[in-house]
Amino acid sequence: MTTIGHAFRRVVRRPQRAADAPRAEIATATPTAAMPAVEIGEHDPLLPYLQSASGAVDVDALQLESSALRELRSAGVKLVIPLVTHGELIGTLYLGPRLSDQDYSADDRRLLENLAAQAAPALHVAQLVQEQEAEARERERFEHELQVAQLIQQHFLPLTLPQPPGWSVQAHYRPARAVGGDFYDIVERPDGTVAFAVGDVTDKGVPAAMVMAATRSVLRAAGQDEARPAELLARVNDLLQADMPPRMFVTCLYGVLDPATGHVRFANAGHNLPIVRTAGGADELRATGMPLGLLPGMRYVETDAQLRPGDQLVLHSDGIAEAHGTGREMFGIPRLREVLAGAASGDRLLGDVLDALRAFTGPDWEQEDDITLVSIAWHSGGLLTSFEVPSEPGREREAMRRVADAVAPLGLPGGRLEKLKTAVAEATMNAIEHGNLNRPEVPVLVTAGVEGADLVVRIRDEGGDRPIAITETPDVAAKLAGEQSPRGWGLFLIQQMVDRLRVTSDGRYHTAELVVHLEETRHA
Amino acid sequence: MTETGTSLDVRRVNDTAAVIGVRGELTGATEAPLMDAYARAADAMTRKVVLDFSGLEYMNSTGIGLLVTLLVRAQRQRQRLMAFGLSDHYRQILSLTRLDEAIGVVDTEEEALAAS
Repeated sequence: MTTIGHAFRRVVRRPQRAADAPRAEIATATPTAAMPAVEIGEHDPLLPYLQSASGAVDVDALQLESSALRELRSAGVKLVIPLVTHGELIGTLYLGPRLSDQDYSADDRRLLENLAAQAAPALHVAQLVQEQEAEARERERFEHELQVAQLIQQHFLPLTLPQPPGWSVQAHYRPARAVGGDFYDIVERPDGTVAFAVGDVTDKGVPAAMVMAATRSVLRAAGQDEARPAELLARVNDLLQADMPPRMFVTCLYGVLDPATGHVRFANAGHNLPIVRTAGGADELRATGMPLGLLPGMRYVETDAQLRPGDQLVLHSDGIAEAHGTGREMFGIPRLREVLAGAASGDRLLGDVLDALRAFTGPDWEQEDDITLVSIAWHSGGLLTSFEVPSEPGREREAMRRVADAVAPLGLPGGRLEKLKTAVAEATMNAIEHGNLNRPEVPVLVTAGVEGADLVVRIRDEGGDRPIAITETPDVAAKLAGEQSPRGWGLFLIQQMVDRLRVTSDGRYHTAELVVHLEETRHA
Repeated sequence: MTETGTSLDVRRVNDTAAVIGVRGELTGATEAPLMDAYARAADAMTRKVVLDFSGLEYMNSTGIGLLVTLLVRAQRQRQRLMAFGLSDHYRQILSLTRLDEAIGVVDTEEEALAAS
């Protein structure tokens, strides 16, 4: 079967070669009349006949139900000399009638058979050389394409990663030899949040790299003015879908982290689920959705997660979970979670995962797919406290007391501490009353930590979907004259009590950030 | 005692002056007791009401708002509002809010009673 197939390939290629080298060496009816190329079909009985023929075959005398034979006859071919070497039919010589109008003699046939016997091995060598040259050219083209694809891919990966205070962001990316379409991107948004994306383009090589580049660019552009991950993926899907080559699509996980609060919002377009590593273990965050570029009008679901100090968010691509071990079993998500749960925290986590992968695959492993690993870690070091209080009037005293206890090691001078306490109490009151509308079941999250030379206290409520009320600057004379309400001192007090007050909203949460400069405090 | 652990004691010093001792906290929860204490402290003869803050543990912005309300009431009744016993912190807050321009803030009860 293989032999026939092999021979067939050569036979089919023969007419082209015949055109390259005209049959001048063989007597033909009219040297100027080109012999028509006769193809012998793969299943034509003439093929096995020629392969096993011992010499020149007389076309007119041959009894065979063969369409090729009929064609040869109508083309005026009288003799067919099979070119066989090592039992393999590598070509044929076709001869028309002798110019002398006589039949081919036994001498003629012997001459032709001798010629064929010597020409066949030479022709075979020529064919092999040509094939090798073609293969080398193909390999070269492939290598070149690989380089182009790698260049495109590397160009569209971020050179530097944002490092919000208190956080460490790291990425490991290792392309497989035949470049796949993995990508990742992490950028700081103007509002201080951090957008992250990890994706994988189906297919390999230059087309995948081009689609990856396009996806990365569209994601970045859309991320400029769209902070909601689900809406962003829907928009990117519609943009990509219009121009996506057939049978290609992109999986992508996209999210936005607020480093101030550890709140993460994300949406998923068919990519591997993110994993959160906490002190208690490593768990996947569930979120599903259709990959990008398949169908227009897709909708995605936004999911959110609350990270705590010391937690680590890990994003990954197929290259890890689908790596095969020496026993051909896959690394798998359960093993990845297990490794993450037991790995060192912070900057050493990615190294631990890669070590575990190497131990699993063995030293001779040829990487099957791109490997992308991203770690977003919240340091616990600078954090002094993180707690929640229910939204009930009067609970601000609890927040005040706990923050005071937590910052005690900093040794703030008495006056500064009292001011901070008042600011914390006022901000918590606002959060309870205006942010969470006194609903006890909705918590106010309070965190306090040292960030560089600052003590930063953040007080977060869930009133981020409502505009922040603009209060008039309190004026005691106006209040006494009845022109202003006697109340409305809260925000004014906070501003007077700390070095900086920053208020942010993200559509769900509303955070007041109180900053006290520690250096000034020490010198005060 | 209120449920927040605050007590407001009214002590009449003479026909024209009374002292309200604020112990605990001055917040929104203290509004009714404070207004009640003020009503008890001040009658038609009263010219001066002194707030004793030496037992004050916590005052928030709502409490400051209550002081403004008291001030409005005192001015309407032509009474002088005085305060003493404030910690440096709350004294600074009364200064920042410029309430100390309308409330006479002094160190001791004697000074408060002696002030014109």
